[in-house]
Amino acid sequence: MNKLLGIFILSILSLSCSSDLDFNQVNNLKLEPVFIGNLATFDVQANQFVIGGVEQTASGDFLDFDVFRDTYFTNALTRADFFFEINNTINRAFKINLVFFDANNLPLYSIPFDVPANASGITKTEIFQNSKLDLLKRTAKIGFVIKLPPGVPFLTENSLGSLKLRSKATIYLVLE
Amino acid sequence: MRKLLLVFIFSVSITCFSQNKQILYNFTSVPQSMLSNPGTDVKYKWFVGIPLLSGFSANLGSSGFSVYDLFANNGVDFNTKLRNVVFSTSRNDKVSINEQLEIFSGGFKLGDWQENSYISFGIYQELDVLTYIPKDFAILALDGNKDYLGKVFDLGDLNARGELLSVFHLGYHKNVNENLILGVRGKIYSSIFNISSTKNSGYSYTIPGANSIYDQVISSNILINTSGFTNYTDNYSGNAGSDIIKKTFFGGNLGLGLDLGLTYYPQKNLQFTASLIDIGFINHTREVRNYSFKGYYRYVGLTPDFIAGNSNLSQKFQDAIPLDTLSVKYKTWRPLKFNSSIQYSFGDGRNSECSCEGNEIKYKNSVGAQLFVMSTPRLPLTALTAYYKRQIFDSLEMKATYTIDSFSSKNIGLGLSTTLGKVNFYILADNLLEYKDVSKANSLSFQLGLNIIFPDKNTPD
Repeated sequence: MNKLLGIFILSILSLSCSSDLDFNQVNNLKLEPVFIGNLATFDVQANQFVIGGVEQTASGDFLDFDVFRDTYFTNALTRADFFFEINNTINRAFKINLVFFDANNLPLYSIPFDVPANASGITKTEIFQNSKLDLLKRTAKIGFVIKLPPGVPFLTENSLGSLKLRSKATIYLVLE
Repeated sequence: MRKLLLVFIFSVSITCFSQNKQILYNFTSVPQSMLSNPGTDVKYKWFVGIPLLSGFSANLGSSGFSVYDLFANNGVDFNTKLRNVVFSTSRNDKVSINEQLEIFSGGFKLGDWQENSYISFGIYQELDVLTYIPKDFAILALDGNKDYLGKVFDLGDLNARGELLSVFHLGYHKNVNENLILGVRGKIYSSIFNISSTKNSGYSYTIPGANSIYDQVISSNILINTSGFTNYTDNYSGNAGSDIIKKTFFGGNLGLGLDLGLTYYPQKNLQFTASLIDIGFINHTREVRNYSFKGYYRYVGLTPDFIAGNSNLSQKFQDAIPLDTLSVKYKTWRPLKFNSSIQYSFGDGRNSECSCEGNEIKYKNSVGAQLFVMSTPRLPLTALTAYYKRQIFDSLEMKATYTIDSFSSKNIGLGLSTTLGKVNFYILADNLLEYKDVSKANSLSFQLGLNIIFPDKNTPD
């Protein structure tokens, strides 16, 4: 009787096997997610370049860009692609400049665009890798500048059309 | 930190399944069977469990993947195996651990030999973890959202609960008449640690947009409740060991519970049983910390304003969906378990040499079927068991089971209980087919224990 019990216990303890396992493999964990997201968007109407009946030759905005304050994210970032798409339905040419600044407001890098009058489908892709990426990682602020070079027809408060920019970022991370 | 979490999640997956105790249920020669049905037909004059040795059980289960799938030393890159596991499981696959250790147990019969009521009592400690696979979070971590334009990520995929608690119980069962035994057990829970995040909802998606390139939305309703941890996370200077002992003995977050059960014999050889276990709750009021991540945010990126100038967007996301740390007390319900069985017995097991008149028939063989249902944050967990029970000798009883549940469709279990003199020893194990390679098992459970039993007598001494 007790033999039965003994056999049962023994069989469980001794006949049970396990394949060769290696839990240290978890150290090889390497996540490589790729995220997409909007980067910046604006759509400026023609009449917004006119203040008090006078054309503004330069407009701008200066925005905090604090994603690189997160060191975990910054260390994981291995590549960033910025894609821009511009549509100009205003009958005038523009110059757009994106300037990346560091925390001391020193310019690090700029992306210029020449936008002819009534031009659509202007695209540009900037790929940040290696030393260019290191420059990007120091960015704390982004400046947007739109210049309206002298030309005709003059813009008035009744002028039609808009200058539209859409952009996206593709972010490559490696977490290990 | 991330690696620690991973190790934790997967070590959890090695250890466990749910709380179905299909071999122990209605295995009446083992007093611990009363914990799965307070109305079990167990008779004793008195019994006492050997402290810390009377009952130990561990169940582990993982539907969808096994330890082997992730950690096999087979030359395949770990990241490839992880991808295969994530993409072959669904959000309803789960990892479950349940471990119980009896610290102390005992029981006695009330009144004289004509009385038929019994008291049983004890303390056990229980670890209970149930985690669903957070599939959409895993996809985001592995792939990001680039290749998932249009997919709606379900934030409700985060669904997990875990608890370490001690349970004080006092039970009573009585043979109301010849055919019916009713039982009830009251419980006091003392929760040592609790994590509960089971009612999350929300979504996140990226689709092509009109004004911006993408239309990106995150709507989050996530709440993680914890209790029992804050002392260790906030500049702890005490002794964790003695703290846990204190919390084991009523020092934790307290709750109340009830078990109900019955055994009914429509005929001498036909038996029906049913029980409801852990109808109860725990109020978490001490060392409570809640983490809330709630809100709605439409991400458009930077939006320079050339007219007003100087717009500042850096705080927008944090303002829309703040991560709040709170201390709000909460209540958790214990996982409710329902057991039921029907059993047919045959074969007169009485000694042929005895004069059997007036002696109750003792059947040698029984066959039966059992149903187990347990509440979970999603669909209830269900298991069906067919079994054969045999009294091999007077002192050796065997129960063999075949169980079908969401973890396995070919779970064969075997239990043996031997009573030599006054000493009762039992050992129960299921999923025996998996022991040839435990690393490939989706569920395993194991129970053993040691008791001293003074048998009941139905005659005056």
